[in-house]
Amino acid sequence: MTRVLVPVAILKGEMVSAGLVDLLATVDVTVLGYHVLPEQTPPDQARAQFEDRATGALDDLTGQFHEAGGDADHRLVFTHDRRQSIDRIADETDSAAYAITGATGEVDRLLVSLTGEVDTAQITAFVEEVIGDRDIGVTLFAAGEKDDGRLETAAETLSAAGIDTATKWVAGNPFDSLIDAVADHDGIIMGEQAPSLASLLFGEEADRVAAASVGPVIVVRSAEKDKA
Amino acid sequence: MTTEDRGSNIAGEKPDVEETVETDEATVTETAELERTLGLVGGLAIGIGTMIGAGIFVFPGLAGAEVGTAATASFAVGGVVALLVALPTSELATAMPKSGGGYYFISRGLGTLAGTIVGLSLWLGLVFATAFYLVGLGFYALDALAEVGIQVGGSPELIVSVIAVLAGIGFTVLNVTGTENAAKLQNGIVALLLSMLAAFLGFGLLEVFGVVDADTPAGEAQDDWGLVPIMSVAALVFTSYLGFAQVATVAGEMKQPGRNLPLAMIGSVLIVTVMYVLTIYIATNVFDRAALEAAGETAMVEIGRELLGTPGALVIIVGGLLATMSSANASILSTSRAIYGVSKDALLPEWAARINLKYGTPHVALGMAGGPVIVLAATRQVALLAEVASFLHLIMYGLICVALIAIRRDEPEWYDPDFRVPGGPVIPALGALASFGLIAFMETLSIAIGVAVIFATAGWYFYYAGDVNLKGAL
Repeated sequence: MTRVLVPVAILKGEMVSAGLVDLLATVDVTVLGYHVLPEQTPPDQARAQFEDRATGALDDLTGQFHEAGGDADHRLVFTHDRRQSIDRIADETDSAAYAITGATGEVDRLLVSLTGEVDTAQITAFVEEVIGDRDIGVTLFAAGEKDDGRLETAAETLSAAGIDTATKWVAGNPFDSLIDAVADHDGIIMGEQAPSLASLLFGEEADRVAAASVGPVIVVRSAEKDKA
Repeated sequence: MTTEDRGSNIAGEKPDVEETVETDEATVTETAELERTLGLVGGLAIGIGTMIGAGIFVFPGLAGAEVGTAATASFAVGGVVALLVALPTSELATAMPKSGGGYYFISRGLGTLAGTIVGLSLWLGLVFATAFYLVGLGFYALDALAEVGIQVGGSPELIVSVIAVLAGIGFTVLNVTGTENAAKLQNGIVALLLSMLAAFLGFGLLEVFGVVDADTPAGEAQDDWGLVPIMSVAALVFTSYLGFAQVATVAGEMKQPGRNLPLAMIGSVLIVTVMYVLTIYIATNVFDRAALEAAGETAMVEIGRELLGTPGALVIIVGGLLATMSSANASILSTSRAIYGVSKDALLPEWAARINLKYGTPHVALGMAGGPVIVLAATRQVALLAEVASFLHLIMYGLICVALIAIRRDEPEWYDPDFRVPGGPVIPALGALASFGLIAFMETLSIAIGVAVIFATAGWYFYYAGDVNLKGAL
């Protein structure tokens, strides 16, 4: 079954909103409790002191996912590098996606971004699996110079699966127009982007989208990265 | 092994020994994982950054004044001793890739008494080393002020002390509150430093061999190639090599430890040895002993000026400031790790390793590093601080070699290093002999202080942690 990794800054009091827990009820979940330490602190030193507290919080969180009906387990990592830990655990658990928690109530409609160099078929399949037979609508979104028909292809697949699907093509700045389109949606699903100059300078696109959109963002990991 | 009773200290605290699985990417305990995030470059930067600090910028004047060009041999001896210790340390580190470094190997291989002595004297040895780096920083800062035309009133000695103390306070505070990537900054400083030194060495060699002529005075230092003077200078300058074993203190955070630990340790020793020998060769060919003695701690600045004029002097000053800062900073970090290592094993109270959740930094341990450093730095005793630091490190280095021999003679089941020192017990035996032997060439006062520290730490063991049993506790 498809697995989604939910990284949580467990000792910083990060919580998972009820809406996201419900949304992920259809898939398996691994809650990744992480704690990032500055270079001057050995991770083991933090483990000795904070392990019990973190494990307690993770048990509670995992319990919430169980209550919502999905299968869930958890891992706890002390690290200097959040990104590296997320990638490693996602590889080890064979997770198809990871979630960036955000505030949301009940999820009625998702915004799915297909902009850029992403595997649209893979994202579409993931969306279909997460929604299952629930009454959650989807807006397929892409931005760019010319419409290459990727939205229509994806919309056909989702409609065929009985999902209420709309499409939205915008010929503007991908990031800004995605954020503009967030209104009336309860969460975003997007593909993992290859590292670029912009991601080096401003941080990863998914993190920036999450920061700007307030709601949860689910990032579908690219298949090539899985192999590596 | 969690069922085995490891005893407890006077306060009733037990060693925190947990069974772990080590992979190339993480250390996995029963309920948590510890990510390995340091690569080979990061490891080399720690080794080189700690070593290539004050030593190379402070010692050419002092060592060259003693024996002239023969000081190149002293630095070479230091490099050989360091290498003889780095090889056994690498083997032990790949067998036990955990934070704690030398202390960890010795406490597991030779038992709690030796472990306590080494663990606590490593802390104090690093304190002495840091103080030495800070005094070096003070001398370079004084020169920097003079170079930009700022006249300082009062006695220059006082200024050096004030700068050293302020820098000590600054680094401690920075390490408690700084959550930015200190390691990345360190990598950058090391890269800059290496390129500056390479340029300086390149030009210096050309000038020494007469390819270019910068009008340096003819006539070399009156050299003293006697064995005893060379060895006693080697004992003094060995402080320049303290640092390769610090790579082992971050063994728990190194990716692919089986490959990266030996490469980082041995590689950093080789790189700095070459740099040192060349630098001292140039320095003693540019100036004779009298001139080196007159220039003292910042003789390198005058050598830079002699070779390349004012820009040369400025390059050396900036290099000296960067190098002493990076050494001091890296050593304060290592100190806090050393304290954590012994506190985890109940040889120091548990509170010594506490972390504050706000910054995520071990503020108590950093304070126990920075506090005594500041006091020692105020003394300005460059040679004494350096020798005591070397003494305490050499005890550890020697015992690391002994621990390797002891573990190998009766190899426990868990012992499975990825890297094995070739040649049976020859290299570790030589390493132990060389480490302890170098101590004999030190000044009497340094030896007396070092021995006093050893007795004090042994006394602490019998008072505080006599019931703790760490041998073989993995």
